[in-house]
Amino acid sequence: MMNRTTLTLLAALLATPLVAPPPASAEDAPAAAPAEEMTVQQILDAIDANMVFESRTTKIKMTVEGKKRTRTFEMISYGRGKDDSAMEYVTPAREKGTKMLKLGDDMWMYLPSVDRTQKISGHMLRKGMMGSDLSYDDMMTTEQMAQMYTPTLLGSEDIDGRPAWKIELVANDESVAYPKRLQWVDKELFIPVQQELFALSGMKLKSWRMGKIKEFEGGRQFPTWMEIVDEVKSDSKTTLEFGEMTFGVELESEIFSQRWLERK
Amino acid sequence: MNLFRLAFLNATRNRTRSLLTAGIIVGGTALFIIAMSWLDGVWGQILEEGTLQGGHIEVVTPEYRARASLRPQDENIDDLAPVLDALRSHEGVVEAHPIIETGATLTVGEEIGDIFGAVMGAEERYFTEYMDVDSKLVEGRWLKEGAGELVLGWKLAQRTGAKLGDEVVLLGVTQDGSMSPSKGTLVGIARSGSPLIDRRVFVDLAAAQWSLDLEGGAMKVLVWGEDREEVDELHASVAALPALAGLDVGSWKTLPPWGGQLGMMDAIRFVLMFMIAFLAGLGVWNTMMMSVLERTNEIGVLRAMGMTRAGAVFLFLFEGVAIAILGGIGGVIAGVLPTLYMSKNGFSYPESMMAKMEFALPTTLYAELSSEIVALAFMTAIFTAVIGTMLPALRAATIQPDSAMRRN
Repeated sequence: MMNRTTLTLLAALLATPLVAPPPASAEDAPAAAPAEEMTVQQILDAIDANMVFESRTTKIKMTVEGKKRTRTFEMISYGRGKDDSAMEYVTPAREKGTKMLKLGDDMWMYLPSVDRTQKISGHMLRKGMMGSDLSYDDMMTTEQMAQMYTPTLLGSEDIDGRPAWKIELVANDESVAYPKRLQWVDKELFIPVQQELFALSGMKLKSWRMGKIKEFEGGRQFPTWMEIVDEVKSDSKTTLEFGEMTFGVELESEIFSQRWLERK
Repeated sequence: MNLFRLAFLNATRNRTRSLLTAGIIVGGTALFIIAMSWLDGVWGQILEEGTLQGGHIEVVTPEYRARASLRPQDENIDDLAPVLDALRSHEGVVEAHPIIETGATLTVGEEIGDIFGAVMGAEERYFTEYMDVDSKLVEGRWLKEGAGELVLGWKLAQRTGAKLGDEVVLLGVTQDGSMSPSKGTLVGIARSGSPLIDRRVFVDLAAAQWSLDLEGGAMKVLVWGEDREEVDELHASVAALPALAGLDVGSWKTLPPWGGQLGMMDAIRFVLMFMIAFLAGLGVWNTMMMSVLERTNEIGVLRAMGMTRAGAVFLFLFEGVAIAILGGIGGVIAGVLPTLYMSKNGFSYPESMMAKMEFALPTTLYAELSSEIVALAFMTAIFTAVIGTMLPALRAATIQPDSAMRRN
């Protein structure tokens, strides 16, 4: 169940369907128990019910506020099943046609200006995607990584005036990108609304906030806004806004192939 | 006059000893000229090449200056045009060139590789007149601006297997940290032995600006005046230009790598000069002291005949100086001849010795002989002889006539 918790955040980030078996719907959420009596596992199941999906398309507007200037990217994102996602940059002109493909644990990036495909691996995974506060590694998080965390319910706190659970996630394997995470989960909507990511030394690496939660078909709650701050970088902030989000759509299988990457 | 004659006669009485003393002066003077000429020559070439490539004045942002050793990609002069206009129309400025230095992985072929190269973007004139890279081309030609061409250092060409005409893909990062792919046709391969050329990718300024997503900007602007030694005044006037307000303007005399080394070079010169003079002085002192000891009786007689203490001192001083003049002349000849040869023919060293240098230095180094060095060497010879003779001469002056004559 732990893996689902972690993946819900990534799903919101990347519009990536993340967890198998095929996810529960919002109606299946274990919301029968009163919020204060829920176990951490029940909380995670409820989050999955909202965040996990079989397929999805969405438009993403990514705004990167840097020290000197603000850049805005628009992407179309496709997600299918547990492991696969694809994304194409629409604007700005400099990045137009750049595509990213994630199949399982592997990720590739197609660079139209040189007509080459770059595999994203090793140290590049932890670099900021397009100079944003969001790393490729953040995008590559998978079920295996999620299984390395152990959740502990720390208590309740108010976030933006709404009650939320505070959950600590500690990695069993210290070599992961974020050995410790703190999450605040909205008690009514079962959506993680805030997250802090820490290094092994205890230094805070990133802070995430999620909001503008909307209700979709089947009663699914989903955040359509996210703000990520890389605490190591200075004067930087990345905002993601999700628009035209559709769940359960039929997607061309070609999208999730390397042929799609280089298709003009 | 008698003292001079007597001193000269004394100098020729024990010719072996006098020749030994003169030989020490000859050796010291010659060594002085050779060492100083080499030092001046090599250091001069280092400074000449370094300031030719690095400019007499460097204009960057204060944030860049604070992290200059890291070459930060995100601290740039965003609006270059007014800065360049102001500099190029400023009296005393010979030229000003914008520079971009970044990094990229290089690929020749389909698969993007992991061979890293330092990418340098500048105007053609900087590359050809200041870095002189075009003269180091071992294959092909220099790149044409705006034609999507690039020149590679031969080590990069070797590692990537790139051949003339190949399309070379560069995968760098923008000033914001985004992946920045670009490509160019390889038209030339340059080789100098220095990593600054052999491991570099040379592109035109516009290509480097695109790669860094810095249209109309640059990391730094290098400025040259008429004379690097007269940079202080130009530095002050350039720093006061309104168009450069908010930018950091530094001169080569204060910036790394030269800033801290000018004082060090002066110290090296002084220590070298002192060591040579000290050794020569020690030799002179030794032989003159022997002379005084040998002639104790004689000095006693002279003192008994009415020679003053000062006369005794001057007798030995004149003898020492006479030998020093002869030794100094011999030393100048012995030092100038090989130095002249080395200033014309130079000394060549293997390219591999340049591997860790911060700039491209010629593989042949030349001595630089100057009249100042020759004059300084000669004067040092005389001075050394005076100092070396002074103690024995003072000892001679203290000799009592009666006790000296009683010794035998």
